[in-house]
Amino acid sequence: MGGTFRPGFFLREAIRSIRSNAAISVAATVTVMIAVFILGAVIPSFLYVQSTVDKQKDRLDMNVFISDSATNAQVQGLSDRLAQLKSDGLVESYTYISKDDALKELKGRLNNPDIIELLPSNPLPASYKVKPRDPADNPDIEAALRDSPALDDLDGGISYAKETSERLLKILKVIQIAGVALIGVLLVAAVLLIGNTIRLSIFARRREVEVMRLVGATNWFIRWPFIIEGIICGIVGAAAAIGLIWVAKIAVVDDFVANNTGSLTSDQATTIGFVWLGLILVAAGGLVGALGSGITLRRFLKV
Amino acid sequence: MRFHNPAAHAPPRPKVEAMSTDSAADQQAAQAAGRSARRSRDAERRIDRRSLLRGGDGPMVVFENVEKRYGKDAVGLDGVSLTIDAGEFVFLVGASGSGKSTFIRLLNREMEPSAGRVIVGGRDLGRMRRSKVPYLRRGIGCVFQDFKLLPNRTVYENVGYALEVTGDNPRSIRRKVPEILSLVGLSDKSERLPNELSGGEQQRVSIARAFVNHPRLLIADEPTGNLDPDTSIGIMQLLYRINRTGTTVIMATHDRELVDKMQMRVIALEKGKVVRDERQARYATVEP
Ligand SMILES: Nc1ncnc2c1ncn2[C@@H]1O[C@H](COP(=O)(O)OP(=O)(O)OP(=O)(O)O)[C@@H](O)[C@H]1O
Ligand SMILES: [Mg+2]
Repeated sequence: MGGTFRPGFFLREAIRSIRSNAAISVAATVTVMIAVFILGAVIPSFLYVQSTVDKQKDRLDMNVFISDSATNAQVQGLSDRLAQLKSDGLVESYTYISKDDALKELKGRLNNPDIIELLPSNPLPASYKVKPRDPADNPDIEAALRDSPALDDLDGGISYAKETSERLLKILKVIQIAGVALIGVLLVAAVLLIGNTIRLSIFARRREVEVMRLVGATNWFIRWPFIIEGIICGIVGAAAAIGLIWVAKIAVVDDFVANNTGSLTSDQATTIGFVWLGLILVAAGGLVGALGSGITLRRFLKV
Repeated sequence: MRFHNPAAHAPPRPKVEAMSTDSAADQQAAQAAGRSARRSRDAERRIDRRSLLRGGDGPMVVFENVEKRYGKDAVGLDGVSLTIDAGEFVFLVGASGSGKSTFIRLLNREMEPSAGRVIVGGRDLGRMRRSKVPYLRRGIGCVFQDFKLLPNRTVYENVGYALEVTGDNPRSIRRKVPEILSLVGLSDKSERLPNELSGGEQQRVSIARAFVNHPRLLIADEPTGNLDPDTSIGIMQLLYRINRTGTTVIMATHDRELVDKMQMRVIALEKGKVVRDERQARYATVEP
């Protein structure tokens, strides 16, 4: 990049160019705004779904219920089998949950724990919570434990979400691929739109560029203002989109979240903080602008 | 750089100077030229290192069997060989289509010859890397036939741009631009846009831009084309003053009267060939 880099001068040149191409620049800024707005909506939703699905995946654990009438020896036998499965590599871990623990856990998940107090006795059985290495092996694990005399009668003593587990895993993959693809398409579209703006800007000024060359401007001296022009369009578009997202967050999402705390469970799904989201979007806008103008310059402002 | 002592060097005193009205504005411009020249001594040393033109008193321009063809049968230049020394003032004359602009454009590598060598300031332009061409152009001031001013910029910004490209600092730009604008007599129009100026004024902006870097070579393609005689003389005096600061000036022109008055070296082209090359000459050998 020979020559001198003069930020102040290049910035003034870029702003001059944006002014003289006001209509085109506004159009590019608006398209970037739309793309970044969608990106800004997709990122938190994507993270929300992902974290929800991850939580569901934890529930793919297998519950092995122990009959209240099982003897210590029978429970010990069940524990030995689990130890064996663990050393075989089918089971990742297992924990014993006593009747009291089970009740406490239920209390914790209910929004109104007082209803537990109404129960005459603890109806929950003790259990082993078995975490499979791969939820797909669940049927094998079940087969290995099936004939233990310690099992409770409830549900045949062993419960896990057979179909949900498979479906969930599939959905997770689809969501990941679709999310990445959608974001990719949006970014590519934004890059092309910025590129088009810069192309028009170069075209509108091609005689001027010729004159600049003739008075001894290096290629980079001519290019920088165009690149900065692209970055400005990208960042301004992103900033506008962040404003819109902020409004949408206050008007729609916050309300929605507030109205949904009335559900039975209070599991929290994690997404992303607004400040982080803003920073990511501004960076994306700037990057899209730089890429768009960079690609166009390579094609239309040859040495 | 060389300073021509006008008395010692003594070319026949150009009649154009004798004709000049000794107005206050003119004297002011002359003083500005002197100041500017003194300052240029320092500026030039600094710029020379980057402008690629080699210093010294040797030839500034050498053409060796230069040929320029456009397509199959259009000939721009046809086997031109000549040398122009540093500090010379040269008129390039000839009918329309004789190859004057082609000659000029080969000098700043706006284009390259089909055959032969063009050497400027000791540099063989045919062997110069593309990336070096901007630096070459900074060392050559060029006054274009169609001015080539940047349309959306003021007079001040147009002249300043030639300094911006060299990476000159803002303080020095703020000093040099008004100085050169006073030299061409446009101090009061520095905030005008090109389309708010007359042709002669635009021409002078173009000269100011070409000279603001104090190049060692100034080339001008019909800088008096389409101007009234008085304005032409004003521009001619300006170029003459610039030449007296040591700058080599090459000027393409149709202006018979002007060439006859100046009594400088004249290179006449015809259909791309040099048909005459004389010192202290007139536009044509035979009076019409
Ligand atoms: N880009 C080009 N393509 C084809 N032919 C060209 C081109 N430029 C110049 N020519 C031809 O080359 C010849 C010399 O042109 P040039 O512009 O050098 O003439 P000139 O002496 O500057 O004329 P004028 O006094 O009218 O400006 C002419 O015959 C012209 O038609
Ligand atoms: Mg011409």
